[in-house]
Amino acid sequence: MNRTELLSTVLSLSTEFSPREKTDRPAVLAPVQGLTDLMLKLRDHSELSFDMLTVATAIDWIKEGKIELVYILISSTFKHSLQVGALLDREKPVAPSLSSVWAIAEWQEREIFDLFGVRYLNHPDLRRLLLEDDWNGHPLRKDYVDDFMLERPWR
Amino acid sequence: MGLINSQNAPMIEAFPGGPAFLTTIDTVINWARSNSLWPLTFGTSCCAIEVMMAAGAANHDLARFGAEVARASPRQADLLVLAGTIVKRMGPTLQTLYAQMAEPKYVIATGACAISGGPFIYQSYSTVRGAHELIPVDVIVPGCPPRPEAFFYGLLTLQKMIREGESIRRPGERRKPVLAALPPGITIDQIRQELILNLEEKSVTKPLNEHAKMENLTWKI
Repeated sequence: MNRTELLSTVLSLSTEFSPREKTDRPAVLAPVQGLTDLMLKLRDHSELSFDMLTVATAIDWIKEGKIELVYILISSTFKHSLQVGALLDREKPVAPSLSSVWAIAEWQEREIFDLFGVRYLNHPDLRRLLLEDDWNGHPLRKDYVDDFMLERPWR
Repeated sequence: MGLINSQNAPMIEAFPGGPAFLTTIDTVINWARSNSLWPLTFGTSCCAIEVMMAAGAANHDLARFGAEVARASPRQADLLVLAGTIVKRMGPTLQTLYAQMAEPKYVIATGACAISGGPFIYQSYSTVRGAHELIPVDVIVPGCPPRPEAFFYGLLTLQKMIREGESIRRPGERRKPVLAALPPGITIDQIRQELILNLEEKSVTKPLNEHAKMENLTWKI
């Protein structure tokens, strides 16, 4: 399946997907509500069969006031990949956990929670992964500051 | 070495010929120590590729300087080569490892991160700004990462320090950190010229026009 076929298949799956432009791989944007159901559809579709979640990460768009979740899916059967994005409110970042769809998402989400502060609903074990348990704040947010950090002497 | 230690040194000095004997013993001990450094494998990031792998492999061959026996246990090592970024969570581990090494122990800090925090010095929540904040450092080898030749110059500097520094009369005496700079009489231009020649000789990549073709390729799914 080539790029346009893959995109049209994904878009025909649900009207909630919207395509993204200027990307180096097929990419769609999905709403946060019902993300688990949409991902299940992508996983279980016979022609798509995205059985592998390779990347789950987040981007802090501080000017827009959004946090974007980025998932890169790969099908080990058909060798194609798809990027799925979902925009969250930066002040109240709440997203459904995908650990019931792909088990690896559990630790990936723990890392995103650790560094970006995204709260996952129905996550089995939402603790910090990399930093100490008593750490204040989420350091990969663009407005994070603490006492240890040195400010740049230039602007 | 049990018989000849700092407590016995004044006793030996009282005998005729004692001071000369001590000096000779110092020379022998320091020569032996400097030529059999056993590094600890402590590579925390990319400098380890240059310092531990490229320097140890056949092309550069760390064994020429007697420091090739890298040990995975701090009890069997006496040289700690800091190859890479030290983060806050690694700090206690590093201090434990340093404490577990047997005396006399030496530390070489290689690369910008271990020296000062390097590219992560500003606006970083995790990077320790220089390993000297945690443990004493003997030799500093600049670079990002340093080439194996630079690391060898640092190692030779440490060997020189060991030969001149410690003695039975003054155990534990160390010098200040030494910058492993360019050897006298060698300029940057000479090194650059040699690098270009090396690259042209050993190049396995395709000619430039092939690269231009490859850049025009678009992503497939």
